[in-house]
Parts: sequence; C-alpha cells; structure tokens
Amino acid sequence: MAIITKDTPVGTELPVFARRLRNEMFASGDVKTIHNDDDAAQREGLPRAVAVGPQVAALIFRMMRTCFEEGWIAGGKVALTFRRPVWSNDFATVRGVITEKQAEGDKTRMVCDVWIERADGEKAIVGTCSALVPGA
Amino acid sequence: MSEDTQTRVEFDEHGKRTTYDEIEVGKDLGSLEWVVGEEDIEKQCAIDEDFHPWFALDVQGNDSQGESNFWDGVIAPPQIHYRPPRWLLSRTYNIRGVFYKWDFENLKAIRPGEKIVVTGRILDKWIDRDREFMSYEAEGRDEAGDMVFRTTRVHVLDVIKRTAPREGAGRDSGIKQEKI
Repeated sequence: MAIITKDTPVGTELPVFARRLRNEMFASGDVKTIHNDDDAAQREGLPRAVAVGPQVAALIFRMMRTCFEEGWIAGGKVALTFRRPVWSNDFATVRGVITEKQAEGDKTRMVCDVWIERADGEKAIVGTCSALVPGA
Repeated sequence: MSEDTQTRVEFDEHGKRTTYDEIEVGKDLGSLEWVVGEEDIEKQCAIDEDFHPWFALDVQGNDSQGESNFWDGVIAPPQIHYRPPRWLLSRTYNIRGVFYKWDFENLKAIRPGEKIVVTGRILDKWIDRDREFMSYEAEGRDEAGDMVFRTTRVHVLDVIKRTAPREGAGRDSGIKQEKI
C-alpha cells in the first residue's frame, strides 16, 4: 500500500534511502570504462571514476515507488539534472519533499522536490518527480 | 592536468567520436524493437538494489504476497526503459560524454515478453560555457500502439572544454552492448 495519500500535506518529507557504491558495481566484463577505471575517466576529463548516473538515480525511483506504488509505475514523471558527479565508490543518499498537489482527472498528482547527496553533502542529482494517488 | 594541456578524445574502440558539427538537429534516430526478458528484470533489480514482489517471478500467484498480484503478473521496474533509447542514439552517433538531464514519464507498466517499439529523434544542440550539449527524445509503444514511456535527455559531449583539440584514444565508448 502506498504510504502517501492525497491527504498527505505539502511539506511532508519522503523517507530517506541510501546506498554504498563500489567500483565493482560498475564492472562491464573486462571493459575499462569511466565508471570503473580512473584512467578511462581521466582521459575524458574527469578526476576519477564516476558512478553510472541512472544507477544512482535509481535511489530516487526506489523512494518514489515506496511512497506511491502503482501511481509511480503508471503515472510517474521525472525531471532530473546531474549537476555533479557521484564517485563510483561514493555514498549516496536520496531525500525528497512534497511541494505541490495537482488535480488530474479522478486522481491527484503529488509533486516532489528530490535530490541525491554525495558523502560530502554535495547535491549531485536534483530535480522533481511526481506520481498519482487515488482521489481528487 | 592544466586546461591548456587537455585534449578531447578523438576515437575509441567503436571508431571516431561524433563531433558537435556532425549532430543533425531533427534527425530521426529510427526505431528498435525491444522485448524485456524475465532475466532483464532480475538484473535491473539487482543493479539498482531495489526489489519488490511486483518484480519477482517467484512470488506471482502467491496469495500470501497479495501485493504481487496487483498487476496480474510480474512487471519490470519502470527505469528499465533507460537503456533502449540510449541504444537507439548509439546506432547513429558515437557519443560518450556524460549524462546531464533526464526527463521521463511512466505511462504503462512494462511486462516481460511484451514487444515495445522505441523511436526517437535529435531535438537540439547548443554550446554553453564552452561545452557542447545535445538533446534527444524517445518514446516506447506496445503492440497495441499505446505509449508505455517517453523520455527526453541531454548529454554533454565532453567534460573538457570545446577549445581543447580532439586527439588520441579513449578507453570507454558510449556504444554499449544492447542488453540490460
């Protein structure tokens, strides 16, 4: 059962999820990539290996699915900016807060600010996500 | 490395990198047929470390896992639709770069064995703070013609400024095997 309903007030913080990233999560057979090899990353102008953006963003989707369940699976919307790299051995934490409610047919769209913080506290991925909940 | 000694990668294992000038705004990226396998769902859950009874074949039909039956069968985590549009882009352009923006909408649940046709086109390209950006859009439709997802993405072609020359080989490529 979704933990957010149409009656959940704007300003409510979403549950926090976190993930320890490790280089080996980004292995791609024997291929050295910017995600698992510092030299490959440095050739592209990055200081060291960076995590795969969508794999880090998956923390956001986990949070949204947990909060909204079926209203995320069919009805979820995402707009993300990858403003800083997350390192391939970083610790990532996702946070979110409900900012708005919009009527959408017989449902309510719950709009949330979401962001992922690196271990150093830097907001690396920021944006908005929304999902549908029953009732207008 | 100081900025004046940096170079942008010119080629990788898949050949010459696409340059900014070669990107054609409005270009149709064609289409690809994509069928999600049960093993793809397992893998997506594993790489995202995100498991739910809805995504698990093992618990389908198990009444003690009532949540599992909501969709009348197993479904995939929606973000499994990340890769096919990227494959589509990579069939036309060899762009490594880094991901800058990702918008998408989940319109229908994705089910194993279902054929989804993914189409896309180049939306725009621009230069900002000496970096080259490009955007593209894609959508996936099921066999009934219903839209399952749509997405818009922005890539920066190089982290290094466009004033740096292109030369030498990169280890990585934006072109990957077409598998989850």
